[in-house]
Amino acid sequence: MDDIELNQDPVATAETDTGVPSRRRVLALGAVTAGMVVSIRPALAQTAGSVLNCEIPVPDPGRAGSYIDADGGVVPARTKGAFPPSTRAFKGEEVKRAMASGSTLPGTDSDRSRAYVKYIRRLQRGQGGFTCFASLQMPRG
Amino acid sequence: MSGTIFRGPLDGGLLIAPLDEFTAVYHRASGITHLLTEPAPQILAVLGEGASSLDGLLERLGRDYDLDDGTREALAARLEELVEAGLIERA
Repeated sequence: MDDIELNQDPVATAETDTGVPSRRRVLALGAVTAGMVVSIRPALAQTAGSVLNCEIPVPDPGRAGSYIDADGGVVPARTKGAFPPSTRAFKGEEVKRAMASGSTLPGTDSDRSRAYVKYIRRLQRGQGGFTCFASLQMPRG
Repeated sequence: MSGTIFRGPLDGGLLIAPLDEFTAVYHRASGITHLLTEPAPQILAVLGEGASSLDGLLERLGRDYDLDDGTREALAARLEELVEAGLIERA
């Protein structure tokens, strides 16, 4: 498949043959009722058991000791307003429950849990816990 | 939020395919595919040209489009959705 460059905006302003923009398109920035983003994540784990028992450290071991800010970003230890790392990794099942119901992760209050969940949502391939996180996104069945 | 700079993925970080009503975006770093509706593809396109503040983004979109509900609050909410999805980040 060919790469499509980001700047090839599929809905760029239409232009007439003279190069003069025709009537400009309306772009609505207001509330999107159904959500603007639907994410399809790879289903990497084959069994429910492995999904629920896998673990997600917060943060991943490569950044152990770092704090997590309210946006889920990894920041230096003792950053003001940020949360200390979790003392233990979370089980996939715990994370799945927190994401689905908004309940807090074990041993955390709601602000801290929200920050940790944001961190987990931002995990990328190669970071500890990513495979577990991605596996949680399998369709519910 | 006014001083916050928003940044999209690095060059080549996204594969983008328009699909009629939707735009499919494959985020290479995470391996996640997103189906986007307006105004997400347009916001990503602008951020693909360079990181921008909320006001800069609003001004830039206003150059190309007639904005409906083109308020800072509305755009901030849309940006938040993209941050949550991992498609953009606060620089």
